[in-house]
Amino acid sequence: MCLPITRAHTQVRPYNLDKKEKPNKRVDTIMPRRVVITACSAITPIGRTKSELMHSLTCGISGVKPLREDELLTSYLHSKVFGTIDYPIEYDFPRQFRKTMGPVAYYACQVAKEVLEASGLSQEFITSGRLGVAFGSTHGSPTVQRNIYKTFFDKSSTRYAAIGAVDYLRSMVHTTAVNITRMFGITGRVISSSTACTTSSQSIGYGYESIKFGMQDAMICGAADEYSTTTVAVFDNLLACSTGFNDSPSRTPRPFDEDRDGLVVGEGAGAVLLEEYECAKKRGATILGEVIGFACNNNGGDLILPNLAGITQTIQLGLQDAAVNAGDVDFVSAHATGTKMGDIIEAQAIYDVYGNRPLVTGFKGYMGHTMATCGVIETIITLHLMAEGCIAPTLNLETVDERCAMINHVMQLREQKMSIASIQNFAFGGVNTNIILKKPE
Amino acid sequence: MTREEIRSEIIAICSREFEMENPDPEDDLREKFGFDSIDGIELLIQIEKMLQTELTQEEKKQSLNIRTINQVCDYIETIMKAREG
Repeated sequence: MCLPITRAHTQVRPYNLDKKEKPNKRVDTIMPRRVVITACSAITPIGRTKSELMHSLTCGISGVKPLREDELLTSYLHSKVFGTIDYPIEYDFPRQFRKTMGPVAYYACQVAKEVLEASGLSQEFITSGRLGVAFGSTHGSPTVQRNIYKTFFDKSSTRYAAIGAVDYLRSMVHTTAVNITRMFGITGRVISSSTACTTSSQSIGYGYESIKFGMQDAMICGAADEYSTTTVAVFDNLLACSTGFNDSPSRTPRPFDEDRDGLVVGEGAGAVLLEEYECAKKRGATILGEVIGFACNNNGGDLILPNLAGITQTIQLGLQDAAVNAGDVDFVSAHATGTKMGDIIEAQAIYDVYGNRPLVTGFKGYMGHTMATCGVIETIITLHLMAEGCIAPTLNLETVDERCAMINHVMQLREQKMSIASIQNFAFGGVNTNIILKKPE
Repeated sequence: MTREEIRSEIIAICSREFEMENPDPEDDLREKFGFDSIDGIELLIQIEKMLQTELTQEEKKQSLNIRTINQVCDYIETIMKAREG
């Protein structure tokens, strides 16, 4: 049984613009091209490599740990858990590249480096202008920003010790994308979305469109987010964070579960290499999957509350772009943050579009909400599961909330081939995305 | 500070902050170590900390053509003299 969900009553009335004559539009005839994924790399709370990720997914291992002390905000926070990277990462970047990086750019450049190494792309192609970068983060580097403000407000310091020459380059919102271009000499287009939880799914989507419509032949797409208690504080203040499992971090978040009590913020990074299909095939690249559709829309009103109409439309638009029917989709990677309201509305939207046919998993149960990075990490995990012919369950989903029970939840690991999958993400600001993936032929 | 103390401190900064290995006072820092304009600004901040003084915009502009550690030492001595005066 499901309860009726109505459009959020707090929807604001749009600002009324006078209608003016529409300008003439130029219409070009474009032959869309196919876009495939030929390499991927991730840094996540549950591991890095395919084998590490599969181990955590198949054994039900959580990457949620006690929140690390930051000597500023942690004592005020009610949520004491965090999706944590607690293993060492060996960076071998020369100083000339490191000097413009904050922690978030280290993550970004590491996954970009691994993607380029795995791709086998030539140096000539990488610097040709035919390869671009779509990469973002939630808000650049909060660690560097905090150090800047600390200097401002620390009365003991003097002005000459204030801001380093490269603090802006290390902390700015597009620091991930341009540190990647700098390090590898990439001269193609740069797209640096910063739309919170839809950042990396926009990166993939806009990268896909850049190739599909002939602007680029390949794109490195993804996002990174570093450890940030500021982000935890934002959700903590909104009473959206999980607080009931501080003594047992691995039991939260609990997407779709009746005992869920909010989201868990996490850190991470992920990158995929998108390539035009014929180019990839010609050079004998390994094809991990195909991006066959993408959609992005906005709820057109409230910036926080999930919106059934907006989410439903995004899912439908993604299917339209992919030219597939709802019945063709085998698997849905749900955004499923573990909040009370968001999970119910998402379940309703999935049911409204797909019914209860596709299997549904919320991967945030394993690692919390890695913010900007969640879309690309969930894409990479879906590619791995596609390749292995199995589907991992939603971790911590023990008793399904009856208001989320109308869809086909994956409750335990199962062998199941999937051909078409949807990765859906929704962000503060009312931004929604849907990526449609297809298994390689 | 004596000239030798200044040079020793600058060489220490070059090693610590800019990861230069055994820089010679006459090395062209740009050519040999890839020392660029961003590094130049960082070095000025280090010099401000070292001298416990804030450089003026005019003084900073005077540093733009510096290429060697010996030139950095000349620059610092000029600043110190100006402060004494």
